[in-house]
Amino acid sequence: MLCALAAIPILIAVAVRLSSSVPPGRGPAFLDRITQNGLFVGVTAMLVSVPLFLPLTVGVVAGDTVAGEAGLGTLRYLLVAPAGRVRLLLVKYAGAVAFAVAAPLVVALVGAGIGAALFPVGPVTLLSGDSIGAAEALQRLLLIAAYLAVSLMGLSAIGLFMSTLTDVPVGAMASTVVLSVVSQVLDALPQLEWLHPWLFSHYWLDFADLLRQPIAWESFLTNALLQGGYVAVFGALAYGRFVTKDVLS
Amino acid sequence: MTRTWLRWMPAAVVPAVIAAGVLSGSLPASAGDPLPEKTPRQVLLMVAQHGEKSLSGTLEQTSQMGLPELPKAGAGSPETAWLELLTGPHTARVYLDGPEKARVQIMDRMAERNAVRNGDELWFYNSKDNTAAHAQLPADADGRHEARPGTATTPEELADKLLAKLDASTEVTVGTDVQVAGRSAYNLLLTPTSDATLVDSVAIAVDGETGLPLGVEVKARGQAEPAFSVAYTSLTLEAPDAAIFNFTPPPGATVEEIPVPDHKAAAALPPSDAAAAKAGKRPTVTGTGWASVLEFPAGAVALPGKAQGGAPDPATANPLRPGTSDPEGTRTVAAALLEQAAVAVPGGRLVSTSLVNVLILNDGRVLAGSVPLERLQAAATPR
Repeated sequence: MLCALAAIPILIAVAVRLSSSVPPGRGPAFLDRITQNGLFVGVTAMLVSVPLFLPLTVGVVAGDTVAGEAGLGTLRYLLVAPAGRVRLLLVKYAGAVAFAVAAPLVVALVGAGIGAALFPVGPVTLLSGDSIGAAEALQRLLLIAAYLAVSLMGLSAIGLFMSTLTDVPVGAMASTVVLSVVSQVLDALPQLEWLHPWLFSHYWLDFADLLRQPIAWESFLTNALLQGGYVAVFGALAYGRFVTKDVLS
Repeated sequence: MTRTWLRWMPAAVVPAVIAAGVLSGSLPASAGDPLPEKTPRQVLLMVAQHGEKSLSGTLEQTSQMGLPELPKAGAGSPETAWLELLTGPHTARVYLDGPEKARVQIMDRMAERNAVRNGDELWFYNSKDNTAAHAQLPADADGRHEARPGTATTPEELADKLLAKLDASTEVTVGTDVQVAGRSAYNLLLTPTSDATLVDSVAIAVDGETGLPLGVEVKARGQAEPAFSVAYTSLTLEAPDAAIFNFTPPPGATVEEIPVPDHKAAAALPPSDAAAAKAGKRPTVTGTGWASVLEFPAGAVALPGKAQGGAPDPATANPLRPGTSDPEGTRTVAAALLEQAAVAVPGGRLVSTSLVNVLILNDGRVLAGSVPLERLQAAATPR
């Protein structure tokens, strides 16, 4: 799945390389910058993968955590060992989080790599119009990857909870992905403005705040707080469901 | 059974704890020491005398004018950018260091608009289409910061503008203290004495310590939410990092050199109005104070969409960039907006917002004012 994610920046870079120049202001943001600076491949790839690809892969991994074991019939054997259900749940969640961290990192690093291979690399222009050196730009790229990793924590927790509800992994995966889509649809409806700050996808695209000079940290903090809330709520729900679940019958 | 319930406990407790935390966070912080009582005059004086020239802060601006929301960071044309500021919420960061250095960053989604002034250098940058504009201020520039369309007004500028307009038409009081950006502030209330205007009240938050205006809120009659508000959400009264004011256009950006207009003559007027002024077509004003009605003769306003802004007085409108790059595109966008916002009324079309009504007569005359439609129509009939 990480390979599939790595294909996104490669696809973007090759497409831009082969096509004629992109007029500014068209297509996804930053797309027109790629020909001038390869590092933007990573940013564009992350921007493109935020609405669907990242939630999709994270949903698949998180939905598979418990339901996958249950579906294969291996869950009861895991619980025979005196490890405790809480510990199993924590380990499973840690696995999902590890993927949520790795996924945007792969997109960013592969993007930067392929961009450096196909396009010139130089000072990066930030949204504010200031330019920073390539080394600092790479730091910003990693920061964005970290931002997205934090952004996906909440979805991972939701996936974990869904996974404890069913023995059919596909059901848990699908419902997690559908929830992320529903959240983004609700986020797009201006009539539900009061709800927007509470949607776990609301701050996903605000990683652009890390491309300003000076960095606007507010969105990072709000996002982390919101995701923490989702992790707490759905973690508690998953705990309640999993420790009371009858897995042995 | 009790064990089962015990295990579901966290799932019930965690949301409750979060809800409690959110509720306690949203409650207004218990006001520490109430500010010493002051008369409106004293508060006005505080504003006039405040010496805070160095600050960095974040501004939030919201508008509930009843206009259709335009796409954010839309096409680079100045007219639409200016209209766009009136139709939706915006966040901007403001950095000031003395009268000579300023930077405003309007933070759009995935884009940013910048206005930087460092000494005589004036830079505008729009990341959406990677364009920059540069102006060299004349050496005798009187420290007046010319805001270009696309830059939100700081509360300071807005408050100064409003205070200058104060006259007998307005009742000025000091309301209960408010909290803005974590600071206690006097709440200066301006209430029009006339019933004929759409403006219900204007509230200016004045910092209790320094006299710096922290926010402005304009309320329209019959609307609970403020029709327009701009206020700091965070504020630091320290000189920002000097590097913030150093701006060089990024490589690859399209740089446009703006000829500095003869600012004594025409800088304060948008180009079309400047042309109109040359042709002797100045707007005429009927009525007084809050209920004034501006009448533009036929042909004076090339783009009717432009006249519907929150400022009833064209002189207070932001000077537009001379030499509009794309007049054709601008016209179509403005026309589309007009098409969407205008309703047919006897004698013409009406663009109605909660603060300002603009009547475009069939004979080409345009009447604008912060008054109900009937008064516009009354002003339109020849005396």
